[in-house]
Amino acid sequence: MRHFLLLLALSLPTTAMATNAVALQSNVFVEKMVTDTKGRSKATLQEPKIVLPGDRLIFVVSYHNTGAAPAANFIVTNPLPRAVSYQGTPDAMAQVSINGGRDWDMLSHLKVKESDGNWRAARPEDVTHIRWAMKQAVPVGATGKLSFRGIVR
Amino acid sequence: MKTNIKLLMTGSALALAALGATPVLAVGTDAGSTITNNVSVGYNVGGVAQTAINASNAIIVDRKINLTVAEVGSVTTTVAPGQLAAVTTFTVTNTSNATLDFGLSVAEITGGTAAHGGTDNFNAAAAPQVFVDSNGNGTYEAGTDLATFMDEILEDGVRTVFVVANIPVGQANASVAEVNLIAQARDSGVVGTQGAVSAETAGANTAGVDTVFADIAGSATGDIARDGRHSDDDDYTVLAAQLTVAKQSRVISDPFNGTTNPKLIPGAVVEYCIVVTNASGGGAADSVAISDTLPTQTVGLVGFGPFLSGTYTGVAPTGTCNADGTSTPGALAGNVVSGNLGTIATGTSRTLYFRATIQ
Repeated sequence: MRHFLLLLALSLPTTAMATNAVALQSNVFVEKMVTDTKGRSKATLQEPKIVLPGDRLIFVVSYHNTGAAPAANFIVTNPLPRAVSYQGTPDAMAQVSINGGRDWDMLSHLKVKESDGNWRAARPEDVTHIRWAMKQAVPVGATGKLSFRGIVR
Repeated sequence: MKTNIKLLMTGSALALAALGATPVLAVGTDAGSTITNNVSVGYNVGGVAQTAINASNAIIVDRKINLTVAEVGSVTTTVAPGQLAAVTTFTVTNTSNATLDFGLSVAEITGGTAAHGGTDNFNAAAAPQVFVDSNGNGTYEAGTDLATFMDEILEDGVRTVFVVANIPVGQANASVAEVNLIAQARDSGVVGTQGAVSAETAGANTAGVDTVFADIAGSATGDIARDGRHSDDDDYTVLAAQLTVAKQSRVISDPFNGTTNPKLIPGAVVEYCIVVTNASGGGAADSVAISDTLPTQTVGLVGFGPFLSGTYTGVAPTGTCNADGTSTPGALAGNVVSGNLGTIATGTSRTLYFRATIQ
C-alpha cells in the first residue's frame, strides 16, 4: 500500500492540489412490498415520498472521480441520521462506528458497555456511522455506488 | 496506513457535526421531521489530502395515523335494572407519529354475540354518553369528567374514556347490552377545539407531509382497517332480583272450638303469611316493601304483630312461616298492612305475617 501511494505521489505531483475533483451524491429510496396480480409479494424501491416510521430505507451514495488524477485513500463517511436505525450494508469492506466515529470496525467485532458494566455485542441499532475505505485509488472517470439499509425509527 | 488514519480523523469530525437532533419516540419519528443524510468523502491526490467533499439528501417523514381503543378489564359490567350512569371503561392510545385530537362515539348493537359472551338483547334507556377521564384517576366522576373528545393527545398519549349508560327499568335478569367505543382520529391544532376528521392523502404523493392510516379493524360494525378509527367493545349484564310473592293462611281459633280444630266461622282468627322469595342466580333485592289490603270481611288483629322479616321453611306456598319475625305494631294501619322486609339475598325467603278476625 505504501509503495503504491509513493508511486502515485511521484508520478502525479502537479495535480495534487486539484479541488472538488470528486462528485458525490446521496440518494434515499423506500423499500415497499408490492403484491403482484398473482399474489406474490415483491420488494420494490420507490422514491421516498411516503415515509413512515418502520419503513425500510436504502441509502445510495454515488461517487464519480471527475478530476484528472486518481483519488487515493478514498474514504466515504456517512453518519446515520438519528431517526434511522442501521440495518446493514451489502459492501463487505464497510466499517461501522458505534461511538460517533471514534472507533471503526466490523459490526461483529464491536462491543457495547451496558449500564451494569457488562459488555455485549453491538447491534445494528447501535451504529452511528458507516464508512467505506477503498483499498485502491479511484481512477480518473471512475464511478461507483455504495449503499446501506436503515429503518425509520 | 498512516495517511488513512489521518483521513479517518477528518471524517469523524465531520461526522460528529452532522448528527441531527430529531426526537425519536416509541411510536416513531415525528411527522414532518426531516431525515437528512450527510455523506462525506476524503481522499488523497498525489499523496496530498484534498478538501473533503460533502453531499446530503433530505426526506420528510409523513404522518402515520394509528390508534388503539381497548376495554379496561376483561369481564362484563354488572348492572341492576334501572341503574343510572352505569360505567364501562376504555383506554384510547395515540400510536401515531403526530399529535392528534380524537372524536369519541358509542355504537350499540342489536342482537349478536356480546363482548363477553351472551347475546345482546337490549339497549341503554337513552343513547350512552362518552366522557374523558379529565383528572386521570381512572374513575368516572360526573361533575369532573366532562370532556367529550380527546384534545391534543401527544404521541404515545393514553386517556381513559368512560361510556356512561342508563339501564332500563324492569330489565330482566341476565340481559346483555353490548357497547362499542369508537375513536376517530382528528387533526389537532387548537387547544379546546375538536379538529376536523383526519383525512388520508388521496391520489398522488405530495412533497409535504402526507397522511397514511395504519389502524387495524375494530369491534364496531363498519370499523375497517385503515379508516382512521378504532373501536373495542364491552358489555353490561343485568343482575336482577327475581322475586315471587305468595300468600297463605291458616285458622288459629274460633269462638266455639278455641284453638282445637278451629273452623272458619265468623269470629275466627286467621293468620296470614306473605312470603317473598328471591330465586337463586339473580341479585339481592334491597328494601323490599310489602303492602296488603285486608279483605273487607276481616279486621286486622291488634296485639299480634304484624311481624316482619320472618324466615320460611320449605317452598312457598306449601312451606311453613316460622314464628321468628320482628313485631312491628305500626305496620297495621286501618285495613292495610305494610312493611319493609329489608334485603332478601338470592335463594332465600322473608315473610310478613299478621292475624285478622273474620266478621
